[in-house]
Amino acid sequence: MRSVRLPTSNIPVVRGQRVLVSGMGSELGSLVAAKLETEPWVGRLVGIDVDPPRRRLRTAEFHLLHPSQRERIVDVVTKFNPHVVINLSIWEPDARAGLAQARQFTADAATAIIGAAAECPALESMVVRSGLEVYGRGRNSPTRPDENSALHPTSEYGRMLADVERQAREVGRRVKIAVGKLRLAPVLGKHVPSPLGRLLRQPIVPYSLLADAPFAVIEDGDAARAFVAAAACRLDTPVNIVAPGAITALQAILRGHRMPLPLVGPEWWAAGKLSHVLGAPIPEHVIELMHRGRLADGAKAQELLGFVPALTTPNVIDHLYAWESVVRIGSISSSIEGVA
Amino acid sequence: MAELIEFPRRAASAAAARVGTAVVEPLRAVWPAFSVDDFGRDPHFISAMAPLFRLRWDVSVGGLHHLPARTGALLVCNVRRWSLGNVYAALALSEALDRPVRFVGRPDIAPVSSVMRRLGGLLAQPADVLGALRHHELVLVSASPTAHPRHAGTVPHELVGPAVVAGVPVFPVATMSSAVGRSARAEVGPRVRLRHKRRGPLAEVELAEQVQQHLQRMLDVFGGVQTGVAPIDWLAEG
Repeated sequence: MRSVRLPTSNIPVVRGQRVLVSGMGSELGSLVAAKLETEPWVGRLVGIDVDPPRRRLRTAEFHLLHPSQRERIVDVVTKFNPHVVINLSIWEPDARAGLAQARQFTADAATAIIGAAAECPALESMVVRSGLEVYGRGRNSPTRPDENSALHPTSEYGRMLADVERQAREVGRRVKIAVGKLRLAPVLGKHVPSPLGRLLRQPIVPYSLLADAPFAVIEDGDAARAFVAAAACRLDTPVNIVAPGAITALQAILRGHRMPLPLVGPEWWAAGKLSHVLGAPIPEHVIELMHRGRLADGAKAQELLGFVPALTTPNVIDHLYAWESVVRIGSISSSIEGVA
Repeated sequence: MAELIEFPRRAASAAAARVGTAVVEPLRAVWPAFSVDDFGRDPHFISAMAPLFRLRWDVSVGGLHHLPARTGALLVCNVRRWSLGNVYAALALSEALDRPVRFVGRPDIAPVSSVMRRLGGLLAQPADVLGALRHHELVLVSASPTAHPRHAGTVPHELVGPAVVAGVPVFPVATMSSAVGRSARAEVGPRVRLRHKRRGPLAEVELAEQVQQHLQRMLDVFGGVQTGVAPIDWLAEG
């Protein structure tokens, strides 16, 4: 095997590495897989998910497996014996599944994937998806928590993510591998199933009149680049992945030309139920974001990974609203030819 | 194959979008849709509130040459009880320096927290102060409030500690304002340096004490309140 040097690091990485992506069927997972296919250090690439990938992948091998099929997952993972595992099997509540299912799927997938990875003798590194929700937004919690801030999740999603982080950390300590935890700001993109994105794209969008707290987000393409960089440099620490800048809910609504619906407090319950009926449920962590904001210090990502997001938070919001209702066949075919 | 794929748009949502645009356009004209920074400070909100602040305070600022042009620094000011000394000093210094000065001590209860955050307020937590200093920001911490306008209160060493950790300079800012008039003053003093090199937590304790002494010396030089009405000056002196 030959070694290559990464552009962001002086550490030589051996070519022909085996990489396993759990959650390859999601938008983020498919993007990560597509980017990994072009990396010189990646040899074989295998993916597992409950849904098929959303992009055309040229060399990746995909296994359609439900999180509850632990024995099959363990079998696939241990036979592949990866050098690097990227765990993206996180179900955000009300994104693709309701809260109870999201909690169950995430716990099952974490147990199966992280547990199976620990049995692989070649394993050197694991990168797991986490989120800023792990810091929580309790009273007097830091305005912009950095990676050293204590974890006090105050939403169910935050607790789910903190649990995945804990499992990965314990396995890393036991089998002595590098464990990188990427704490993503809310991931938005044109095709990302996100409760926040769905809510902001409603014609009438509620926001907290008294708080209207600022938050930061990250675009799915930027998040995927961060995962590839973390896997390449064998990240062994938690890192916040946040687009620069911040925006409040009202500002986002104004950018999207939506109708703002100011709410003060108790009517959030009714607004949440109505929004659920209309197809955009508002989970607990999104309500928390609207009331208490969600910012984080993302300086460490540049320092350790050389990662600089291409889009700022307001740009990501603009991209979210730039979802065309009309797609011309000509433009699709020309873009495919351009890629080919 | 058709030349065009058109996804159906529901008539109701399209109508709502049109109404939304009609409602939002006037709002967009007066309020920019992107004006908060990484910490939630809103320069547009501050400029909108500026006439209100000028109605209450007419702040004269001095000693700006002591402050670094680009790097971060911790400023420590004295405050008279209920005077909002840290708020007017931060706003006046921001305007004079043409760079944000963030004050420490916003409460975390809406809607006050929301307004204070827009003005550049940070929580009185060492983590918040350290985060801002590491990003080369100017952060203004206030000493504990006093009843007398020319007494400097105790400087909280736990909020001075982040400056030691981040390796940024510390400057005293003496503030004085009239309880009845508009006149106010914010004077930045020279950098406070530790007399003894310390490796442990004594550095922040001693630095906080030294800053308090510097502040007291600056306030002594200021002299008393001069409103032109002697009884009021006597009252203000406590």
